[in-house]
Formats: sequence, structure tokens, C-alpha cells
Amino acid sequence: MSASTAVQLRHHIAPRKMLSKILGHIVVFTVGLFFLVPTLWMFFTAFKSRTDVFRFPPTLLPHDIKEVTLDGQSYPLYRVPVDGQVREMARLKVEEGNGTFVDPENPEDVVVIRARLAEPVMTIKFHWHNFSDAMNRSTRPGLTVNFWTYLKNSTIVAALTIIGTLLSCVPVAYGFSRVEWPGRDLIFILVLSTMMLPFQVTMIPLYLVFTDTLHWGDTILPLVVPAFFSNPFDVFLLRQFFLTIPRDLIDAAKVDGASDFRILLQLIVPLSKPILTAITIMTFLWAWNDFLGPLLYLNNPEHFTLAIGLQDFQGQRNTAWNQLMAASVVFTAPIIIAFFFAQRTFIEGIKLTGTKG
Amino acid sequence: MEATHTLPAPSQAPLRKRWSARKRRSLVTGLLFISPWILGFLLFNVYPMVKSLVMSFTEWHLRMPSVWIGLTNYTDLLQDRRFWTSLANTTYMVLFAVPLNLFCAFLFAVLLNLKIRGQSFYRVIYYLPSIVPVVASSMLWMWIFNTNNGILNAFLGYLGIKGPSWLTDPAWAKPALMIMGLWGIGNTVIIYLSGIQDVPVSLLEAAEIDGANWFQRLWYITIPMVSPITLFNLIIGVIDMFQYFTQAYIFASVQAGSNAQRLGAPLDSTLFYSVYLYDRFQTLRLGYAAAMAWILFIIILICTLLLMRSSQRWTYYEAEGR
Repeated sequence: MSASTAVQLRHHIAPRKMLSKILGHIVVFTVGLFFLVPTLWMFFTAFKSRTDVFRFPPTLLPHDIKEVTLDGQSYPLYRVPVDGQVREMARLKVEEGNGTFVDPENPEDVVVIRARLAEPVMTIKFHWHNFSDAMNRSTRPGLTVNFWTYLKNSTIVAALTIIGTLLSCVPVAYGFSRVEWPGRDLIFILVLSTMMLPFQVTMIPLYLVFTDTLHWGDTILPLVVPAFFSNPFDVFLLRQFFLTIPRDLIDAAKVDGASDFRILLQLIVPLSKPILTAITIMTFLWAWNDFLGPLLYLNNPEHFTLAIGLQDFQGQRNTAWNQLMAASVVFTAPIIIAFFFAQRTFIEGIKLTGTKG
Repeated sequence: MEATHTLPAPSQAPLRKRWSARKRRSLVTGLLFISPWILGFLLFNVYPMVKSLVMSFTEWHLRMPSVWIGLTNYTDLLQDRRFWTSLANTTYMVLFAVPLNLFCAFLFAVLLNLKIRGQSFYRVIYYLPSIVPVVASSMLWMWIFNTNNGILNAFLGYLGIKGPSWLTDPAWAKPALMIMGLWGIGNTVIIYLSGIQDVPVSLLEAAEIDGANWFQRLWYITIPMVSPITLFNLIIGVIDMFQYFTQAYIFASVQAGSNAQRLGAPLDSTLFYSVYLYDRFQTLRLGYAAAMAWILFIIILICTLLLMRSSQRWTYYEAEGR
């Protein structure tokens, strides 16, 4: 191909390529809005005032009536129709439907008209106190329970679940990968098959055992104790990882007289940091999000986790959406922060769970 | 046969004994390491499975002797209108929501794989919603779906469309849940994206030289190459959908203006299988709920087996794999 035909070809192709590229970008952007806008809607609603939440038509950003200060006091600003003109004036008072408006520049200039004829001047305003209100409000009379309590409980549940999962799954996975024993692989199939068992099948008998036999009702024990007995999913992931560790390393340690326990603790675990981090994060997500477990076992608000505590904001008649969204932001924030710190681990975790299954 | 085994010379006996001692020791070591699993398996799988199966044949009373009633729970279920409603609602979601999720996840993964600027930013944007806790995202979407003050109907209003009452109209409840579900598919998108990126470039280039256009390369190369991922996500999607609970629970609990919370609201349109099971459990029809759980288990098993079976016809594995 000569140089000139190559140039010609490129000229021929370039506009079409450009067009499809622009088209692709538009589609990616539009779909991106579908993912982004609800997130922003949650975030910005958390900063809205009570009245702004129910303003029609709704706006994405939090708005409030603009205020001006006159003689050290603040008054709301309105658009007032005066003699066919629209002027921005501060509203001093409303009496029997008549509003007294004054020009902030010239306080002598006073207009009295029907209050409903004046439209408020809106400005963007963030209500930060929604967060402290949401966190500190006590919805249960007589109980010193608030959102901090739920945050603390969720943290305890998540931490214990992570500890239990790591403590149990690591040795189990070692037993299924690095110790040769008769029947091992057959039993491992049994481990995998328990993944198919729906939660609902074991839910009722377990509920009876935990609440009736063990009297663990209304404690976090039914939520965290099972974690200490390993789970098939993480055992599988760890086993696959342990199998990739070179056999020579383990044999060398054995020749040196190391016990299985020492090999696991001093050789395998340090080599498995990536997978252990991934499992820690996934377990955290799972425990933090769990709804059905706490719903089944926790009755006293003092023991609630965030997942069920969120329902506090739903009233019988109306919901405090701004506070609910503020609480949701607090609920979600640790996960988002973890994501930005360990983005690669998150993505690796998903790929592990999704493609190697 | 037995006799020939005892025949070998006596000199070999101690060796064999030593070997079996080692074998026995390794068995003990192995079992010791997996003992947390063995205990958990017995306590949290075997025992409750057997117990719930037994329960499903009884009229179960708390702290009172339960009564063996044979198949009555099962035959009662067949007569239970709400049971069939819950099964129909769940089937609806399995048939429509699961394929929709997979289709969109693949499509979005293809979009994220286009060679355009800012892709690493878009990947984060697409993925983030999937890590928002389900309870929080369900609450958020109830607010988005709010008929008068929600942002969805406001947006539709700008387009000149009068948005439906997503939360109170039984016809729109399941579509609303499906839209909400799409928002959280970032996980599957990332899985597909990594699958698409693993497609050998040489294959795509060869096809391009042979004159295959972008769509043909997608259809004849990428889609078959990611079919194992499709199978895996299809099975997981179906299993999860049969256990669909939290979103529907929140959905019913946010019914504006209704004091009496009723699962499945509006008008049982979100009464899914697991929701109804929970409802029976809550009203202490424990034997009945156990029977439902076992039917669920069997349905899930059959679906999984059917999908695995059919997959041999439509999934592609590279020769050296698996």
C-alpha cells in the first residue's frame, strides 16, 4: 500500500470513526446519568429543608427562600408585583392575608399587597444540621436510642462477622487444599453444594434454636455466631487461592519440621493478603447491608443495626425524607470511603466471585 | 480378592502399616482443620434442613406439642390464592427482570469498553450504586418514585409525560422494582467488562480483517466468549430472584398514607414468594412456612439443573479451560 492511498483511506474512514465515537460518548454519558442522578438526589435531598423537600416542581439542589438582614433581623425576600413591575422586597409581616413588604435598599419604601401574590426568591442553601438532627433524634420516647446507637451496633456486628469469617474460613480452606486426606475432594463437593441451599429453608428451625433453645432472641449473637463456623463461598475462594501457592514452598517448610499450623500461620497467611483483604471487604459489605437477619432477631431498638434503624424515619403519615436521606448517606459513607481507598481490591473481589464460579 | 491382599511377603507389612498410620494422621489433621465447617454444616445445614422438612408435615405450635398432619400444609398451599399470587409475581420477575438485568449489564459493559475518554470515571459511576446498601437504595428509590415530589415524575413532566403512581398503582409496582434493580447491576457490569476484556484481541483482529463489522464481532465473538459468565450470572440471578425480599419489604412499608402495613402492597402486586413466606412465618404458621421453604428449594434446584443442562447448547468453553 502506497503512502498516498493510506492517507486517502484514513480520510475516508476518519469522519465515520469520529461520528461513532461521539455517538458512543453520548450513550455512555446518558446511561451514566441514570446511575449518577439518583445518587446525587440522595445526597442533595439530605441537605434540603422540610419545606423544600415537598416543593413542586422538585429541584435537584437544595433551595431555600433568600433572606436579607434589616436592623439586625433577617427577613425572607419576595418578588413583589408593584405597578406592573416586579421588585425584590423583604417581607416584614403577614396580617389577614396582607403582606407588608419593604425595599431592602430603601427601608422607607413600603408596599402592602395580598401576600400570596408575592413569590419567594429562592437560593441554593445547604442544611447541614439535617445530619446532626438525623443522628441525634430519638424516635423512641423513654429510650436513649438514636442513630449513633445503630451505627455502633452495625460496627460491632460487621467487625465480629469479619473476625469470625477469617478465623474459620482460613483453616477450613487450608484443610481442603494443603492437607492430603482421604475423601477430601468428595467432602468439598458437599461444601459447594450447600451454597445452593436457600436461606428460607433453614431460617425457621434456626430461629427456634436461637430464640427458644439458646435464648439469644434480641441479641446480635444469632447474626454473628454462624460466621465463626465458616461459609462455603469464602472457603471456596480461599481454597482456590491457597492452591496457587507453590508446593515446593510448603514442602520445604515441612522438611524443616514446621507443623501444618505454623505453615498456615507463617507461610500461607502472609502470602494470601490480597484475597484476605478482598474477603474482609466483601464480608463487611454483607454484614453492613444485611436486613433479614436483624429483622428476624432484633426487637429492642437498643440492638438495632443501621439497616433496620433506617425505618425510624418513616412516619405513619409522612416521612422525613431529608433526614432519612441524611441517615442513608451516613449509612453508605463507610462503604464509599472503603471503595475509594481499596478500589482495586473491590474490583478484584467482584471478578473473583463472578468469573471463577 | 480379600485373600490376595493378605498374601504379600511379611516384609511389606510394617511399611503398609506405617503408610496407613500417616494416612490416618493426615485424616485427623484434615478433619481438625475443617472442624469449624463440620460443626457449622451439622448445626446450620443438616439439622435445620431435617427439622424444617419435618415441620412442613406438622401444624407447629410454639412451646406446645406439634401435630403431625401429613401433606395437609402442601395441599392447603395448592388452595391458597395468595400462594399462587406470590409464585406468579416471582415468576414474572424471574422471566422479565433477570434477563433484563443480564442484557443491560452486558450492554453497559460493552459501553464501558468503548475507546473513549473518561472511561475510568464512568466505570466508577456505573459501579458505585451497586455498593449502596439495599435498604438505603430501596428507600432512596421510594423517594425517587414519589408521585408528586419525586425526581422521576418531575423529569417525565419535563418531557411532557404524566408519570404514573409508581408506588400505589399495582400495574406499576413491579416495573418500578425492575428499574430500581437496574440501578444496582454495577457488579454484573464489572464482571462482564472483565470478561469482554479477556476476549483475545487476535480473534477480533482476524474477524476485522475478514470484514466483520463492529456488530458482527460482538455477535459472533464477544457474546459466545462471555457465555460462561452469562450462565453463571443467570443461575445466580434466578436463585436470588426467588429469594427477593428486602426491596419488596421496604416497598410495601413506604406506602404513603396507609397506617396498616401489609406485605405485598399495593394489592399484593409485590407479594413475592419470600415475602409471603415471611408473612406466614410472622403469623406463626411455622409448618406452613416450612412447606413453602421446601417447595422453594425444589423449584430452585429444578431451575438450576435445567439451566445447567441447557447451557451445554449455548455456552462456549475454550478447549484448555475447565
